[in-house]
Amino acid sequence: MSAMTLAKRPTIILGLAAVVLALLTLVGLPTPLQTVAAVAVLILLPGRALAQLTPVTDLALGTLLVLALGLATLTAVSTAMFYLAVWSWQACVISMGVITILACIARARQEAAS
Amino acid sequence: MTSTLDTPSRMDLRWKPRDLWCALAGAVSLALVVWAASTVALPVTSDLGLVAALPFPFWAGVLILNAAFFVALRGDTEGPASRPVMIWLVAVLVLVLFGTAAFVTDVPRGEVAFRHLGIANALSGMQQIDPNIDAYFNWPGFFALLATVLGATGLDPVTLALWAPVLNVSLWLVAIAVLTGYLTRDPRRRWLVLWLFCLGNWQDQDYLSPQAFGFFLYLVVLAMVLGPLAAKPATFHGFRPAGLGQWWRERTPAEPRTGFRLAALVVTLLLIPVITASHQLTPFMLLLVITVLTLSGRVWPGRLPLIAGLVLVLWLLYPASTYLAGHPLLENSGLQIAAEANVVDRVNGTAGHLLVVQLRVGLTVLLWALAALGAVLEWRKRRLDLRIVLLAATPLLLFPAQAYGGEMLIRVSLFALPFVALLASSVLLPGDGSVRPSARAVGALVLTCFLLAVLTVTGRFGNAQYDVFTRSEIDAVAAAEQLAPPGSSVISAAHPTPWRSQSYLEHRYRTMDDLCREDLSPQTCGPIVYNYARHNPGGAHLIFMRSTEASVVLQGDNSPGEFTELEEWISMQNGVQLAFSNTDARVYRVAP
Repeated sequence: MSAMTLAKRPTIILGLAAVVLALLTLVGLPTPLQTVAAVAVLILLPGRALAQLTPVTDLALGTLLVLALGLATLTAVSTAMFYLAVWSWQACVISMGVITILACIARARQEAAS
Repeated sequence: MTSTLDTPSRMDLRWKPRDLWCALAGAVSLALVVWAASTVALPVTSDLGLVAALPFPFWAGVLILNAAFFVALRGDTEGPASRPVMIWLVAVLVLVLFGTAAFVTDVPRGEVAFRHLGIANALSGMQQIDPNIDAYFNWPGFFALLATVLGATGLDPVTLALWAPVLNVSLWLVAIAVLTGYLTRDPRRRWLVLWLFCLGNWQDQDYLSPQAFGFFLYLVVLAMVLGPLAAKPATFHGFRPAGLGQWWRERTPAEPRTGFRLAALVVTLLLIPVITASHQLTPFMLLLVITVLTLSGRVWPGRLPLIAGLVLVLWLLYPASTYLAGHPLLENSGLQIAAEANVVDRVNGTAGHLLVVQLRVGLTVLLWALAALGAVLEWRKRRLDLRIVLLAATPLLLFPAQAYGGEMLIRVSLFALPFVALLASSVLLPGDGSVRPSARAVGALVLTCFLLAVLTVTGRFGNAQYDVFTRSEIDAVAAAEQLAPPGSSVISAAHPTPWRSQSYLEHRYRTMDDLCREDLSPQTCGPIVYNYARHNPGGAHLIFMRSTEASVVLQGDNSPGEFTELEEWISMQNGVQLAFSNTDARVYRVAP
């Protein structure tokens, strides 16, 4: 069976949420919803996807890692895009969505192996 | 071993009546504070700042909140109140101390947040980085983040800047809660550290800035270093090289899971370059602290300081090389220069302003004295954790390295504050965690922390006469920037001026006190400003505002009358026309 088949439901939901919210953010939503969707797809979902690759069980540390990894990864991606002169916030949304999905795939492989 | 020790309080979902009363008291205090702050009339006219304008119910709210917190902290024999109640009370304190200005006005305080919005706006427009513009474009990480977040979320930039202090302090507190979990098992002390950190945080570095962002990531790296990357030191064999080598080799990882250590190392290696790309000072502070901790044998990956140092050097050599070519790192170094810039130059101004400055110093000294006493008490009980002392003291080493625009001492005290609070908490809660504080001790703690809150509000909002802007002043600055053609100069009387948020690169921005070297007398400054404005091919727009006048007067740079005389002198010159005016500001156009 493939890793995706054996992946746990939260990981699949996380990956799907990243795809859906990235698309919605790119299409555009009314202001408060756009803010929520963008914060989720740019910071919270990538942070969560990356944090769950670490074997952290502590709630407080896990929360901290979600925030720190989300913010740090977005900073790294945005800065690199500016230096490469390819920045647009839409490109950042797509990049963070891709990072989230890749992290979910890596997590799914971990779950399948365990 | 390296999980954040025990849960900070009971996970019992059954709330006791006392917990409910404490939560309700928190809500009441928040309501009082919000209502009281919203009644403050602008502009603030006292040189003591906001503290003189806040009505009695504000202080009643602060007192009730402290009482509720310490009753909840006292809890019962099982420990403090339930976690949601403690979190709620800390959240209310954050809103009370760091959201006060947002309850008073819908305009962010100070100049710098506006400038930072302008840099993010300029980056969005250019879509690339030009390091020749200024220092910010040599450390652009935070601004790249800000540009992306503002672009994607559609958030109003000014609203984000307004609430940034609450957001930043909340992030800091999450990190401090985690890292103090690695340093003490006492749940009461862990909550008290968060409380004391807020009460000691008068430094006002939590606005929308690379410093606030860098400090958050700094705390996260420390959480990694104190937690999954920590080492258990071996028995010390003396200072001989062989003994030191044996001591170094015999240290063992505190975290037994290799995978966890590796993951924590990867996280740290991501955060270090992001910190380095985002802020000038924080990477140096981080390098210093990691090095000291590693040399104490308390960090497992021994090469971490080398990696952090290498990343920093590479950043300085390449992305930041443009700025450093004209600004050597140790340009303003030395203890005397640092002392003059950080202390002597700040102890000037009106009687009220001097009192505010003295109270800021007093609050810092009080916390440091409590921390020193706490360290002695812990040492006598043979439970002093050396890491806490190192983390509190190491930032001081950076003080003589750079004047940092007169702000180094403020930054040093901020970086040390979480650990100063931790040491101080052992004086305020001398028990070992199993001992419930007496009712009398709780009463004393309430009064002590209420006093600290008064000092913090005084210190933090002590410049409100000039850093809390009125809507009229914002309108005047917007009018000046709109009227000024691209390439022309916009000249304000002094800092802070809430400008550059929309047109960072379009105009030349100057202040009269910079042009005139702080001598604003009409005889000296008038001709300098007038000639500077006339010689600009695009002309200039001059802004005179209530807040800038208050700024120079309050800080002792000028007498009240001189500012008016300067404006009158300039307004009578050829080619000078009043272009905009309202109750708090005038904008003059100077033809080229």
